[in-house]
This record gives sequence, structure tokens and C-alpha cells, in this order.
Amino acid sequence: MKDLENELRKALERREPPPGFAKQVLARIKPAATPTPGWRGALFAFFRWPRLGWTAALVAACLLVTLGAVHYRRAQQERAEGEAAKKQVIEALHLASRKLNVTWRKVQETDRRPPRT
Amino acid sequence: MRKATWMMSRLGPALLFVLFTSASAWGQDPRLKINNLDKLSAKAAEVVDVTLDEPMLKLASKFMAGDEDSEDTEAFELIKDLKGVYVKSFEFDKEGEYSQADLDAIRSQLTTSSWSRMVGVISKHDGEISEIYMMTESGGKKVLGLAILAAEPKELTVVNIVGPIDIGKLSSLEGKMGIPKMGLEKDKKTKSSSGGQDAKK
Repeated sequence: MKDLENELRKALERREPPPGFAKQVLARIKPAATPTPGWRGALFAFFRWPRLGWTAALVAACLLVTLGAVHYRRAQQERAEGEAAKKQVIEALHLASRKLNVTWRKVQETDRRPPRT
Repeated sequence: MRKATWMMSRLGPALLFVLFTSASAWGQDPRLKINNLDKLSAKAAEVVDVTLDEPMLKLASKFMAGDEDSEDTEAFELIKDLKGVYVKSFEFDKEGEYSQADLDAIRSQLTTSSWSRMVGVISKHDGEISEIYMMTESGGKKVLGLAILAAEPKELTVVNIVGPIDIGKLSSLEGKMGIPKMGLEKDKKTKSSSGGQDAKK
């Protein structure tokens, strides 16, 4: 029994660590604690919520504004072209109508003239 | 060799038929070639040059249809089925600025069998020509095109309307659309337009 006690005491007695032990432990821990992120890590980090949500919302807003501007500009252009075409149609129809009526009037005048003897 | 002869004898008539039909279709084109008159723009005091093809007419009619103006609605009814409206009108300061050849180039297109002259007033004394031509379908039921040729010593106008046009309605347009019926006062500025693009000068 006494021997067992002695053995235990010997096994559990305080011992000083070898010199440089703490340094070695810290050197082993350091790389694990602060891993340098690679491009994949950065990419994954970027696509992580909530940053992804904000980015998507921003892109969607930009897209909407651009599409709206393009649509508005196209509508304005179409309207201007339509108004110009309308003006030309009215001008052409007016001229055609006038010439048509002038010709009819000339025919009527010719019909009314007494025949030459 | 025998096979080739057989094929020619079979395909020949079909080929001739296709050629004949396409030739008659070519002859039925109600669009006149009036670009030869463009050179007169430089001499004219006033130019009206309107070139409206089907897409432009459709665009214009879209804006006319939406208008509450009854006159615009009338004009819309008139143009909705048209394929083209082409006008060249020149007013000169002095006589003799256009030649007989200019007129003949237009009239030669109108003397084909496809066109028929409805009305023609030729005054040699005043040097005036007013002619109205119409192109109709073979049955004569449907109007395919209208041409108005009006020549005065100081004025030359060619109107070519392609598509089914109601002449009665066209005639009744004068005096509407804010335009007085007679004694039309026109500004002497040079007006020129061509389907949304500047006319060639």
C-alpha cells in the first residue's frame, strides 16, 4: 500500500516544463487561430447573408432604374416620331385633298363652258 | 439527257407561269417612282416632300386613333389601311423651272394598263395639267392606289397614295383640320419632311 502511494506521489509531483515549451505551444496555435483567407474564402464570405441580400437588392434597383430610363426614352422617341408622322400625314392628306378638289373644280368649269363653234 | 428534257418539259410551263405572274405583279405596283423630282428642290421656293411608308403610317395612325379630335379620327379612318403616302410638291418663283421630261417621267408610269385616268384637265393656254389616276384590282372593286399630277407654270405636285383610299372622304378633308377650304394661304418657308428623316436636297 505504501509503495502504491509513493508511486502515485512520484507520478503526480510537480514538474517544470522544458525550456521553450510555451513558445512551441503558441507557435502551433497561431496559424489555426488566424487563417489567411484565400480567394475562395473571400468569395464565399461575399456571398454570405446579409451582404448577399443587400447586393442583390442594389443590383435589382439599378436594373429597374436603367430599364425604366430606357423604356421612358424609347416611349418619348416613339411619341416624337409618331407626332411627326401624324403631322406629315395631315399635311399630305390636305395637299392631296386640295389638289383633288382643284381638279374637280376645273372639270366642272370646263363642263360649264359653252362649246366652241 | 432524256431525264433533263423531260424535266424541262415539265418545269418549263411552271417556270413561265411564275415569271408571268411576277411580271404582272410588278406591273401592278401602285407606288410611283418620283425620286427623279428631287433635283427640283434646289430651284423651288417651297417644297413639300412627304414619304410615309407603312410602318410610319401605322405609327401615325396609332397617335391619331388615341386622339379625341374628330378630324384626327377622320384622317385615321382614311389612312388606317394605307401602305404608303408619297407627296412631292414644288412651288417656284419663276416659270420654266421644271421640264416636260420631269413630267413625262411620271406620266409614263401612269400610262400603263394598271392605271386608269379618272379625270384629266389639260389647259394648253394656261399651261396647266391636272390629272387623277387610279389603280384598281382586276375586278375594279378595290382601289390599290391613287395618283394626282398637278402642274402649273410655277408649281408641280405629285401625290401618290398606295392602298385602299376613299376618294370621297379624301376630298371632303379640305376645309377641315384647321385648314380653310379656299384661298389657302401658305407660308413661303421651305418645308421638307420624309418619314421622320430629312428629305434629300
